[in-house]
Amino acid sequence: MNDDGVPQSQPVPPAAPPAAGRVRVVAPGSQARHLPELTSVSQEVAEQSAVGEVMVRSLIRSQLRLSLVVAFGFMAALFIGTMVLRWVPGFSAWRILGIPAPWLMLGAGVYPVIGACAWLYVRAATKNENQYRDLVEEK
Amino acid sequence: MNPAVGFTAVIAVSVITALIGIYGLRVSRTTSDFYVASRTVRPWWNASAIGGEYLSAASFLGIAGLIMISGLDALWFPIGYTAGYLMLLFFVAAPLRRSGAYTIPDFAEARLGSTGARRVTSILVVMVGWLYIVPQLHGAALTIRTTTGLPSWVGAVAVVVIVCLTVMTGGMRSITFVQAFQFWLKLTALAVPAFFILLLVTGTAGTLPGGPLPAGTDFFPPSNPPGGGSMYTTLSLLVALLFGTLGLPHVLVRFYTNPDGAAARRTTLIVLGLLSIFYLFPTIFGVLGRVFLPGLAEEGTPDATVLLLPGALVGGMGGSLLTALVVAGAFAAFLSTTSGLVVSLAGVISQDLLGGSVRGFRIAAVGAAVVPLVVALGTDSLALAGTVGLVFAFTASTVCPLLLLGIWWRGLTDAGAVAGMVVGGVLCGAAIMLAARVGVDSGWRDVLAQPAAWTVPASFITMVLVSLATPRRRSPGAARFMSKLHVPERPLAHPGPSR
Repeated sequence: MNDDGVPQSQPVPPAAPPAAGRVRVVAPGSQARHLPELTSVSQEVAEQSAVGEVMVRSLIRSQLRLSLVVAFGFMAALFIGTMVLRWVPGFSAWRILGIPAPWLMLGAGVYPVIGACAWLYVRAATKNENQYRDLVEEK
Repeated sequence: MNPAVGFTAVIAVSVITALIGIYGLRVSRTTSDFYVASRTVRPWWNASAIGGEYLSAASFLGIAGLIMISGLDALWFPIGYTAGYLMLLFFVAAPLRRSGAYTIPDFAEARLGSTGARRVTSILVVMVGWLYIVPQLHGAALTIRTTTGLPSWVGAVAVVVIVCLTVMTGGMRSITFVQAFQFWLKLTALAVPAFFILLLVTGTAGTLPGGPLPAGTDFFPPSNPPGGGSMYTTLSLLVALLFGTLGLPHVLVRFYTNPDGAAARRTTLIVLGLLSIFYLFPTIFGVLGRVFLPGLAEEGTPDATVLLLPGALVGGMGGSLLTALVVAGAFAAFLSTTSGLVVSLAGVISQDLLGGSVRGFRIAAVGAAVVPLVVALGTDSLALAGTVGLVFAFTASTVCPLLLLGIWWRGLTDAGAVAGMVVGGVLCGAAIMLAARVGVDSGWRDVLAQPAAWTVPASFITMVLVSLATPRRRSPGAARFMSKLHVPERPLAHPGPSR
């Protein structure tokens, strides 16, 4: 029995073919190394040519830039919120449906902002990848 | 409280967990190879499973308890726990899925081409996991003591025994289904009582056992002391929570069940939605706890708020049922997080020390669970959310820089990674230990008790500087590995490899 997602550093030695009706369960860790290379055309291009190398570098750079921009945007929003909480005098006293505004903001209001950031990021990151794919296939 | 309620809930949740485990096991044996089956896990299932594993004692009991103590400031904890997944989405989710690494040490070895770096990472990951299991066991001890009146150690031992049995018999192979079930159980266990209590409190239905509330009751009394923690404490806590999440050992494994990088992103998006909904409820419990059970904070058991509130406000049979539901949810939280951690730790320990055999995995699983049990029995429960916050600070100072720089910077070398992790780990550990010895009035106390704001940058800077000083140690395979991390896979039209 070879079970439980036990990651194994050594490849599993080839065993006798499994009996009909039963499928051998293999740890994903070891299997990842056995898989026929999942490399796509785009990955091969990336690895073999100087142009490919440049394209991968620019993909990584644009993804990193995107991540940093959205992350800093989120943190800036959080920071502004904290500042409002601390330094705007009327804010703490303001109540909506009997709930003070600070509680409403920190208890519920932050989450839609998190969701919006995540959604924007996923859209933009997918777009970056699609652009990269188009570039490689045109080549 | 009637002890039978607590017993019934704990036994029921354990039996249901085992049954789903066994059923899911049969499904995964008869359909196809487990791994391929897991590739077809829908993002919804997967996201529920991630949520199930992530929402621990700190989320289920700790947040409400912290609101009891520190009021408004406690709300930064759920924000940090959720936003941690945002950072995971931005910087780690898709590349890590593509890396093919199953554990963080696997990633370190593949990226840095060094077994030394792998060893150091393994040690740190095991430490993080142990530290994270301890508060889960404290939570279990508290729950059993509060609801059944048995001594504290029974709860901790029960969780360890159940987790060891399920992991060792292989029941956790169907972990996705178990964890997904436990997420929805936890959400129901908080949402349903919260709903009933809110109906009572607003006077829409029924009356409170203590008669109607006096007019003018303030549900949001100002925190005491007003203003709460300093700006530094909040900032440092956020750094720890935001960057600690992406280094947790059990989180990475779950992402592996996504078919590709893009699906890993979609899954994270759903996880964020699920967490956002979940965290509304501990807040409701905390706010109501401050009004109706103010004595708990003074007795030193604020973390019991969630367990006691339904029984205190809803009388009779209804109250017992709601209490049973909450206890079941709490136990699901301890079981799911602990088993997720034990599985991932056992993987790391058995691979690095015991040669990766199945027998080694079982021995490692027991070791992974028993060491924190000893620590938990020898220590007192502090505020659950606070303890877990410190684990996040440690992770953010060690594993997080390795992952972020490893994924995004070609220049990282094994020497740099090891130096950075050691510096971050030592600084963070020393600060937390010193904080316990420094007087309450000392100006250093905040800086030491919440160290993430300076230990995380220290670790990053060390990693970068040492890597720049050792450019010859760059792994020759790094460029190839980096392109594997970031280049999108074939479009999904291609079926997975048939075996």
